Amino acid sequence: MRVIVRTVSELCITLGTLIVLFVVYVLFWTGVQAEGAMNDQIDRLHRQWSTGTVRQRDAPGERTVSVTGPGPYREGEPFAIMYIPRLGFTWNKPVLEGTGRGELAKGLGHYRGTARLGRKGNFAVAGHRRTYGDPFKDFPRLRPGDAVVLTDGTTWFTYRVDKGPYKTVPTDVEVIDPVPRKSGYTGPGRYLTLTTCDPEWGHSHRLIVWAHLDSTQPVEAGEPKALRR
Amino acid sequence: MYGWIWRHLPGNAWVRALISLVLILAVVYVLFQYVFPWAEPLLPFNDVTVDNQ
Repeated sequence: MRVIVRTVSELCITLGTLIVLFVVYVLFWTGVQAEGAMNDQIDRLHRQWSTGTVRQRDAPGERTVSVTGPGPYREGEPFAIMYIPRLGFTWNKPVLEGTGRGELAKGLGHYRGTARLGRKGNFAVAGHRRTYGDPFKDFPRLRPGDAVVLTDGTTWFTYRVDKGPYKTVPTDVEVIDPVPRKSGYTGPGRYLTLTTCDPEWGHSHRLIVWAHLDSTQPVEAGEPKALRR
Repeated sequence: MYGWIWRHLPGNAWVRALISLVLILAVVYVLFQYVFPWAEPLLPFNDVTVDNQ
């Protein structure tokens, strides 16, 4: 009898310890790992860009919105860095192609099949609200007029938020359409959509922010105004 | 359970304590490296996309 009681209580203590360890893993350890992984991705991008594997624009005379950028996005590979001053002046995250678990553990994920950066259509990106470095923790603080700046190594793209945060359900795929439903946009254009989960620790809804391309400038021209303090 | 393990470890109390520590660390390592990464996606924090793409 005593053996049974002892064994059961030992199992309970073990289970409790296990749960505490798991909470530490989810809240703390995924963040530590994501921090390292995101920095790796950003370093990789900087290395790629500095060694010039990114094709430079051919005609320097053409400063229109049409962009001759890098090659096709490769699954699971980083291709851009995103800056959102509203989320903090040091806030910058790599953007990877694909929205699988692996990509989202290393940065933000670009929805496959949506438009390329700066092109006509909708450039849609998803990111974690919580865990894995909490990239979109302050997502609800985004307001119309906020800048979302991206660079692909050759060009700075400054998007301006038009609407959001808009709350919707997970099956609402029309929010990443080329002309997103409910966004207020009526015609085709160069749009950006950010998605994350809502509530903070749940998965019953999604938060959406829409932006349009406001301006572009080559990297040689320096950081865009939105990033200067 | 733990008493049984303790009794079956070799050496004196110090050696047993050392082996126990190594065993605990090994268990924590396996948990963080293999078990928790498997269990974590079962929680809802990964669903940040529309249509679960």
